[in-house]
Formats: sequence, C-alpha cells, structure tokens
Amino acid sequence: MLRAVLLIPFLMSTPIRHRLQAPTPTQPATSYTYVGTVHAVNAQTGTLDLITGVGMSLRLVHMTAGPAVRTSSPASGLRIADVKPGDVVRVECRRTSAPPGLVVNRIEKIEAPAR
Amino acid sequence: MTVSSRWVAVLLSLLAPSCKKPVNPGDPLPGLTAEQLARFTRGKEVFDSVFTPHTGLGPLFNSTSCGECHEDPVVGGTGDEVEVHATAFKNGMCDPLVQEGGPVIQLHTTPALKKALGIDREPFPPSANGRASRTTPVVFARGLMDLVPDSAILAYADSEDRNHDGVHGRPNRSVDGRIGRFGRKAFVPTLAEFNAGAFVAEMGITNPVQPTEENIGGKPIPPGVDSTADPEINQEELDVTDDFVRFLAAPTPTKLDRNGRRGRDLFSKIGCTGCHFPTLRTGASPILALDRHEFAAYTDLLLHDMGQDLADICLGQAGPADFRTEPLIGLRAIQHFLHDGRAATVDQAIELHGGEASGARDRFKALAAEDRAAVVAFLKSL
Repeated sequence: MLRAVLLIPFLMSTPIRHRLQAPTPTQPATSYTYVGTVHAVNAQTGTLDLITGVGMSLRLVHMTAGPAVRTSSPASGLRIADVKPGDVVRVECRRTSAPPGLVVNRIEKIEAPAR
Repeated sequence: MTVSSRWVAVLLSLLAPSCKKPVNPGDPLPGLTAEQLARFTRGKEVFDSVFTPHTGLGPLFNSTSCGECHEDPVVGGTGDEVEVHATAFKNGMCDPLVQEGGPVIQLHTTPALKKALGIDREPFPPSANGRASRTTPVVFARGLMDLVPDSAILAYADSEDRNHDGVHGRPNRSVDGRIGRFGRKAFVPTLAEFNAGAFVAEMGITNPVQPTEENIGGKPIPPGVDSTADPEINQEELDVTDDFVRFLAAPTPTKLDRNGRRGRDLFSKIGCTGCHFPTLRTGASPILALDRHEFAAYTDLLLHDMGQDLADICLGQAGPADFRTEPLIGLRAIQHFLHDGRAATVDQAIELHGGEASGARDRFKALAAEDRAAVVAFLKSL
C-alpha cells in the first residue's frame, strides 16, 4: 500500500493524469504534486528546478513560485528561500494556461520514507 | 496409515530436497500459478521483441530490445554491450545532468534524428566530470531483490563502521529520497521503476509511467523526428514485461565438490561476506513464490567505497567511488567482471577491489594458489 502511495507522485506528475482527469469549466484547475530533488533555486526570480523521474530516466521540471511561497511562510510549508539544491522536497503546484506554467503553491521538505 | 507406509512417507520426505529440480538460468520462479506463468511468457515476448522507429524506437537508443543486451546464456542474462553514463560531481553533490540529456548516454540514433541533426549518438554532456562504462548485468532474481524490506537494508548499514571492520555500507537514495537498490549505484528503489525507466533510457520507448522522451543533449526533439504517439507501449505491455523480470528465478548454484565447499568457507573466512551477504529474505508478498523467501543473493544492497581506481560517476548520494555490492547471482554466466567489464577473470575482479574491500582483497591475495582456486571454483558455481 505504501509503495502505491509513493508511486502516486510519478503518476500525478505526468501528462497521463491530465488526460485522465481533464478539467471541465466547473472544476478547479488541476493541481500537481511533484516529489524530487532540488536542482536549482533562485529566490529572487522565484524559480525552482526539480529533478524527478522514473528509474534512470530523469526529468527536470521548471516551476515558478507563487505569492505564498515567495514572501512569507505558508501555514506549514517553506518559503522558496528556505530550500537549496540537494534538498528532497514535495511541491504542490498548479498549471496556468499562460506563462509561467507551473506555479508553486506549497513546498515541504520530506524525510526519506521506508517501505 | 500403516507403520510401513509411514516409513515410506518419512523416507520420501528425506529424499525430496535432493530430488528438487534445479532451476536453470532463465527459468521462472518455482511455484508460480498458471496465470503468473502465462504473464511470464507474455512478458518474455515483449522483453525480446525488437522495436523499430515505426513502433516507437528512439530517437535516441542503446538497443532495439531488452533481449538484445540481456541475452546470454538465455533471455534475461548478460550481454556484451557496454553503455556510457555521465554525471558531474561538484562540491560533494551529484548532478545527473538532466538538463544535458541525463546520465545515460545513448549510443545510437534513428535515421530520422540523424537526418535532422547529423548525429549518430547522443552528445556527451559538456558539464560532465565523470564518465562510466556499464556492462549488462543478468536480471535473474530481481523480483526477489525488490521485496527485501527497506528495514533489512537499513539494518545491514554501518555507515559509521561501529564494528571496526573497515566496512561501512550505507544505502543510496533516489531523487525523491527513497532507499535505492537497483543499478550499479543502487539509485533506483523498485523493479517496476527500473523497468519503466529502462524502456525510455535504453530504447526510447515511452510508456504510461514515463510518457516523455529524453531531450537531445538538452534540446527538444526536432519536429517530425518521433512521430509515434506517446506512450509507445501500453500499461499491459509494461506490466507483463515487469512480471517477466519479476518472476525470473535465481539459478540453482551448481553442485559443489569438496574443493568448492572449501572455497565457500574461505570466501566467508577472508571477509568477502562482509558485503556479499550470502542470503537475503523477502518480505510479505501476495505472490506466494516471492513471499518471505530466502535466496542466495551475495549482496547487502548497500553502497561501499571501492577506492579511487574504480571510481567513475556519482549518482544520488553515491560518490564516484561508491558502488552497490554486486549480487553474485548467476555469476557463472558472466564473461567480463566488475561494473565496467575491466576484469577478464574472477581472480582479476577480486584483485581490483579497493577501498572498503581492500582487507578482503589482501587476504585473498595472501591465500595459497590452491585456496584461491577454490574460492574461484565456488564463485563459478553461482
């Protein structure tokens, strides 16, 4: 069960989820959860590059911090300035139809889970 | 039951272990159900099927099928292909160079990509400061390795060398922080992920778990070069391939003679089993053939510093000199030894061990010639 939960971020991070759950006008914007290693972060420009992937097939996901993670610490999350390359984080974000694309709503560092 | 029939039953039960049918390389796990065997067979077909650009191959790839590399002595075995991997290790951190195409350098391109960009392999990442050659491992018993609980791997770890034996194994972690176990650097946590990632990294075959192609040295794939719709295999094809690998058994070691048994004892006595743990045990599984099963693994699934002479790339938390203890399952099928195939014989492979393995290596080298031969005879039985 735990393994299934751990795989959810991979499945959620892919376009397949978007296809399976295409939003209708009455639904809220699709949210995404990524879990990965911070590759690069720039608190001034509010950009975050996250390494995700499946096995040896790795991908870089580029995101932009939303207001909540730029200026103040959200309820129980981190500011973008609080993370650094090498940190393993869970990032909740939403996709906008126009640039910047993926907007970060919440970041949290995660402890390494065991199964 | 009469007294005589009871004696016959006792006699049969005593004889049963010695009559147990040996498992040959490539055989499925004993005890699979008919349905599981059918999936093993269907998965073997996908594993061995040859992809073309029309069916999704590339545009970058190392091989046209899983079975092209994993072929010797049977499907799922080893092969003579050698891959190139690259990463950058800077200030104690590992960059897998995803922005430049990722750590696996594909050595072939489809005709369409060659026509578009004039390249016949993926460009080597300019930021790399580590380059590695990687031979093809056998994939026997990987389903068993997949089910060794993380708690067992953590229990074997001794990163502080508390027992002062010079060996300080530690687990690697994946990009999302889970304990790794697959790959020469133990970077990948599960067999399913390794397989899904390998379809893309090795053949350019996208699938529902990894539905996007790799970039070309950091640049997007030129328009019209990869016209096959993603994912290029479906979930069922991915799942049965995964089951084929998952259900491949550990081959039964060949019967040891007196010399081989002495070699097995020496292998332990000189300290090789400090990392090459003879047996591992799986956790609970709904698949009875994998459920709480002890198997001869000869690995602890941990990283060990093997010395600067063997160092190549970093990956996750593994530094350039760190390697996962290689499982010795199916060793008798191997023709070239160590992660990059630099050793032509088992003796050479042992002599090239360094770092944490230096003590065991030196004790091996100090053995009399016939004792060294006995250790090698034991290893060649696996």
